[in-house]
Amino acid sequence: MEHRWGMAIDLDRCTGCEACVAACHAENNLPISSPELAAEGRTVHWIRVDRYYEGGFPDIKVKYVPVLCQQCDAAPCEPVCPVYATYHNPEGLNVQVYNRCVGTFYCANNCPYTVRYFNWFTPEWPEPLRLQHNPDVAVRMAGVMEKCTFCVQRIRRAKEDAAEEGRKLADGDVQPACAQSCAAEAMVFGDLSDPESKVSRLTKSGRATRLLEELGTQPKVFYLQKGK
Amino acid sequence: MIYLTAEFRDRAAAAEAIRLLRENGIAPADLDVFSEEPVEFPRGVLDRSSRISLASVLGGILFGVLATAFIFWTQHDYPLITGGMPLSSFWATGVITFEMTMLGASLAAFVWFLRESGLIGRRDRSAPVPHVDPGSLCLRVRCTAEKAGWASESLRRTGAIAFGAQGE
Amino acid sequence: MATVPELLPYKRIREDLFRPLSGISRRYAAAALVAFVIGATGLLAWGYQLRRGMGVTGLNRPVYWGIYIVDFVFWIGISHAGTLISAILRLTDAAWRKPVTRAAEAITLFALMIGGMFPIIHLGRAWRFYWLLPYPNWRLLWPNFRSPLLWDLTAIVTYLTGSAIYLYLPLIPDVAQLAKHNTPWRRKFYRALSLGWTGSDREWHALERTVKLLACLILAVAISVHTVVAWDFAMAIAPMWHSTIFGPYFVAGAIFSGIAALLLVMAALRKLLHLEFYFTPHHFNNLAKLLLLMSLLWLYFTVAENLTVWYGNEPNEMAVFGTRTHARFAPLFWAMVVLNFVIPFVLLGIRRLRTIRNATIAATSVVVGMWIERFIIVVPTLSTPRLASASGFYSATWVEIAITAATFAAMAMLYMIFAKLFPIIAVWEFKPHPEEEE
Repeated sequence: MEHRWGMAIDLDRCTGCEACVAACHAENNLPISSPELAAEGRTVHWIRVDRYYEGGFPDIKVKYVPVLCQQCDAAPCEPVCPVYATYHNPEGLNVQVYNRCVGTFYCANNCPYTVRYFNWFTPEWPEPLRLQHNPDVAVRMAGVMEKCTFCVQRIRRAKEDAAEEGRKLADGDVQPACAQSCAAEAMVFGDLSDPESKVSRLTKSGRATRLLEELGTQPKVFYLQKGK
Repeated sequence: MIYLTAEFRDRAAAAEAIRLLRENGIAPADLDVFSEEPVEFPRGVLDRSSRISLASVLGGILFGVLATAFIFWTQHDYPLITGGMPLSSFWATGVITFEMTMLGASLAAFVWFLRESGLIGRRDRSAPVPHVDPGSLCLRVRCTAEKAGWASESLRRTGAIAFGAQGE
Repeated sequence: MATVPELLPYKRIREDLFRPLSGISRRYAAAALVAFVIGATGLLAWGYQLRRGMGVTGLNRPVYWGIYIVDFVFWIGISHAGTLISAILRLTDAAWRKPVTRAAEAITLFALMIGGMFPIIHLGRAWRFYWLLPYPNWRLLWPNFRSPLLWDLTAIVTYLTGSAIYLYLPLIPDVAQLAKHNTPWRRKFYRALSLGWTGSDREWHALERTVKLLACLILAVAISVHTVVAWDFAMAIAPMWHSTIFGPYFVAGAIFSGIAALLLVMAALRKLLHLEFYFTPHHFNNLAKLLLLMSLLWLYFTVAENLTVWYGNEPNEMAVFGTRTHARFAPLFWAMVVLNFVIPFVLLGIRRLRTIRNATIAATSVVVGMWIERFIIVVPTLSTPRLASASGFYSATWVEIAITAATFAAMAMLYMIFAKLFPIIAVWEFKPHPEEEE
């Protein structure tokens, strides 16, 4: 059976520590960010933690929402790419093909979650940070769009390992870097087409919502919160 | 074949000359009127049929159909799903169908114009091209040697000014 | 001396219209030099951008489209100068359009060529632009024809081809004339272009048929072109872009800016080439009235769009609406309204004020106002995304400004070369038929 990768993020568990952000940077060879770049709007964070504040001091409430590419089944970013640099693969992933991208920016404009990031310059890492690069992940050049891939390199590695060992993928075999590093265990990744997987069961719970669901993008990241 | 040229200052006189010549057997294909700006004769004097519109329509349809078929073929040759849209859909590519139809129509019109005007292709290269003064018309008649005498006489009668003859 | 051009002797008309083609005045050379310098700066800026990356522009997340796209829509809009004049007025046989057609069509062709550069200039990897074309390749890939950008490509290629043919065809008789009176190297050039035109009635008949047919086709294509450009925005689900009115809105705006550009060019030609007998106050009066009409039409569309958004009160759209009308972009927005409506309405609506000079001022105001309008459409929506944490700013850098300026220089340069090689008024079309009384 074809896999259908999805994720469930429990907003009631998320502490906003941003370990997922750091892990994603390390795993996917993301360019370095800085306060200057942030002011220019040029930072790259495939997963970011949005903060929503309610009320004022001392009755203030904060909600932390990690936002990553929602891998929408009806992704608005896909049909507008003129060169098929982004399309839907059979496992439900919204894939980004770096060496096909010509940089029209249309996909980024059409993403309602603003989760697409561009390489404005060729990224540089001062020594010894380059030694920390993940050899499984390409380093992108200037002019190319990128975004969260659900750690497709880990998915592929897990599938290869399972095939080598002659077994099927079990639930929990694939852990993207963000889910792996979450101390509160708020992020659960798995196969939505397997009804027994943890993520499938969580998405069927009464607490499951999706971001900007009314747009009909059919995102595959489910946010669990009590009371919408 | 003899080529006679005659200059007219007056459009009505030229029309009369053409009518006379045609009544007596000279075919419209053997008549040419040269001028520095387009001259409109009354209907029936020297009508030229034109297939440019037809060529344009056919060219447009051909281009449009070919382009659309090509698109549909590419979408199945290497099928890639985008945004939940169907692989092939007239809605998603109808604009291109329209544009390619228009492009085909424009190109076909241009190509047929070149052909029909004689600028490219069949044209009588040996025929003399008379020099035309601004404001006047020049009529060129192609006829056999026997008819030449009578034709010149008709031209003179209808008020032509300058004359020329070439060929034998 | 006759003041109505049609009463001038034909020889005089031909002299007047062929005279600008010979010799280069000091003013011409100076203008050419300035245009060259500005153009070269723009080219250098583009080279720098290609080398370093798109980071040298002011683009960022979330404003991924900036001045380049504004320029693109602007120039494609200017290219609609020819549409109204040549196509619509030719089809309705309006006699006053005769001196204006070639000037208008030249604007169309050059604006299209320039506007068509921007989809390449704004690319992150511009050297790969040809991947948008369908050609057999080792990866066995084809472009995605569902993308509005591919629709753009086909529409602009079609309009460019059609406009080139439409400009070239009525040029043939004039070029044949020029081949007779000129210096040897020019004679060869003109004779090649004239394709051996002799002026026979067969040729004239075919020419007139084709031009009339092309006028219809060009009109349809022109409307579709700017609709397709509008659909680059309307097909996206970004707030205040996803609007059904965009197609007609952009077409009306394009014709609006096109007429303004034509008025400006005509005023310049009149002054610089001493064509006061040919571009008469009558022409400017007519164009001014058309400009006023389009200004009102533009106002209608703008009100319709904004009222619908305001009344609907959808939160994401209202966020964008707010930045446009009373927050960050408000000065630009209201400046646009003044430039596009108030100034033209006053200067062109009051008959006593409708002089050539005021028409030129109104036209300049409209050209600037319509550039601002495109900016107001592109940037506020992008800087106010649905998830507010991603909001951002945008300000253009010297690279973008240099390239924008270079396109204006390029337009001037192309036009100057054209006016030097070919008579800017179609001589054969302009002289009425010897007996046109019936």
